[in-house]
Amino acid sequence: MNAIIFSAVLGVLLMFSGIFFSKKSTITVIAVVSLLILFIVNIAENYGLFAITVDTKNLLSFSRFGLFFNSILIAATLIFVLLSGKEIENTSVNTAEYYALIMFVLCGISILTAFNGLLMLFLGIEIMSIPLYILTGADKRNLKSNEAALKYFLMGSFSTGIMLMGIALVYGATGSFDLVSVMNKPGSAGVEIPSFLKSAGYILLFAAMCFKVSAAPFHFWTPDVYDGAPSVFTSFMATIVKAAGFFAFIHLFESNAALLGPSWKILVSFVTVATLLAGNITAVFQQSIKRMLAYSSIAQAGFMLLALFSNNDLAREGIILYAVAYCMATIGFFAVLIKVKDYTFEGFNGLAKKEPLLAFSATIFLLSLAGIPLTAGFFAKYYMLASVIKSGGALWLVITAVLFAAVSVYYYFKVIQAMYFKEGNPEVNAGSAMYRTLLVLLAAAIVLVGALPSIVLNWFYF
Amino acid sequence: MSTIQILFFFLSVLAIFSAIMVLISKNPVHSVLWLIAVFFAISGHYILLNAQFLAIVNLIVYAGAIMVLFLFVIMLMNLNADSEPRKHQWMKIAGVISGGCFLMVLISLVRQTVEITGKTALVKEGNIGLIKNLGKVLFSDFVVPFEISSVLFLSAMVGAVVIGKKD
Repeated sequence: MNAIIFSAVLGVLLMFSGIFFSKKSTITVIAVVSLLILFIVNIAENYGLFAITVDTKNLLSFSRFGLFFNSILIAATLIFVLLSGKEIENTSVNTAEYYALIMFVLCGISILTAFNGLLMLFLGIEIMSIPLYILTGADKRNLKSNEAALKYFLMGSFSTGIMLMGIALVYGATGSFDLVSVMNKPGSAGVEIPSFLKSAGYILLFAAMCFKVSAAPFHFWTPDVYDGAPSVFTSFMATIVKAAGFFAFIHLFESNAALLGPSWKILVSFVTVATLLAGNITAVFQQSIKRMLAYSSIAQAGFMLLALFSNNDLAREGIILYAVAYCMATIGFFAVLIKVKDYTFEGFNGLAKKEPLLAFSATIFLLSLAGIPLTAGFFAKYYMLASVIKSGGALWLVITAVLFAAVSVYYYFKVIQAMYFKEGNPEVNAGSAMYRTLLVLLAAAIVLVGALPSIVLNWFYF
Repeated sequence: MSTIQILFFFLSVLAIFSAIMVLISKNPVHSVLWLIAVFFAISGHYILLNAQFLAIVNLIVYAGAIMVLFLFVIMLMNLNADSEPRKHQWMKIAGVISGGCFLMVLISLVRQTVEITGKTALVKEGNIGLIKNLGKVLFSDFVVPFEISSVLFLSAMVGAVVIGKKD
């Protein structure tokens, strides 16, 4: 409960800080301090040091897994603000409001990592999504940003409608929002057959959740929205929010895979393969790096869907590691991308000569995204594949995933090739000393996690 | 057939007919007006279920506030046939196929499902929709989501101000 309460209160405080402090950098400092406080209180709750307890009537349950995942996402937001705070300040005059909205998104994420019923799932998804619609349209002078915000808003509302329809069907079947009673109660005739209403409700929920995590065939909004939104907020949306969506997705279907019977595995593997296919193949043909990253985020979502497919302990460890690796690498690469003026591949030509440090850390981020050994991305992908093998009987899915991972190497290496092996004079803003230090630290952290993935996973158990 | 059953079937037919008319009306203003008819029919159903509070709220919020907003937006945008975006033929076919599949699933659902066969709605008996009971449930069992939804409204308000304000 700590994180939910503190993020809401700190969000309000940040909102008002805009009145008292006219200097934008002060507001960024306040945001960083707020995020630190949020991180500390969430950790404190995880270890039972300090916890505000509210009787939630079993609507929220704070598990170790959820709280740990929440800590990771808050830490990722902290890194994001530290690296890209300057760009948030430059996006518009409403800096304080944007930080407040980011805090509200974190409030939604804290609910999503603890929900224990469909009602809280809905509230969490909405609290997470509505601020995002606004952040997408943050650059008000830019027509593309406006279009992206409107598109995201309309499509998002529609998918929320589908989700509500699913919740209504499940509620109609069981008379309860409770996840557990939804799963275990036998039909009213007294026999244990899967209820048609429940199954239909869960299929609709599945579609809506696929939309939220941009899994194919519900991914069509992603490239336009990620491309149109200001780059800083794309970085936020593509990493932290998507990871939270995956947590909710997996938690929702953790105990009810049996409900949908054998068709469940077919459904998930179809969506996984479609997502990998749509993401990777389309990313190959992109000219703009930002758009390529949007498609690559779809492709990465395909890998995270493997955790949904296998649904075992290894998948749970894997999704933690994947969230860490994916968030660090994507936030880091976006932080480099923002500093470069031209987002096409040509814009990166010769970056290694001009800014060797930026180019080097960008290379490590890209290697991690591609899943090359000795980077965090390798073990993230490894755990996903291992969990599928452990669940048994789906070797073809593993082989398909590996093949698509090989395809992804092509478009990630195209950027590296542009930076190191092509001549050019890119327009780039070198950034402050703190920014460069942080970037190197982030790259070092990726290599460290890549060498010793247990340093992340051990925190899960101790 | 009792009066209530006659009312029920009348309202159901009205709701379905109006809903179809929303979709097939060429003029968007007509669509909105038919949608208001749908809301009235659904409110009638709520009253049959003895949920007066829900019925009134449905009328005030949906048929009243939101539909007026819809009408304003449509009239301000001045839509006509020329400005309507062209849709591909295959998009329409894809829409019909997927929509038809979904309809089939829902129909078979209603026919086969165990929970709702042989049950009718608690007409005139249920009292869960009365404002007293609703308030009790809202402030005892569902007080946490009730309070948390304030964050949702706050962020929506912040967004409206941020987007609406001149830079």
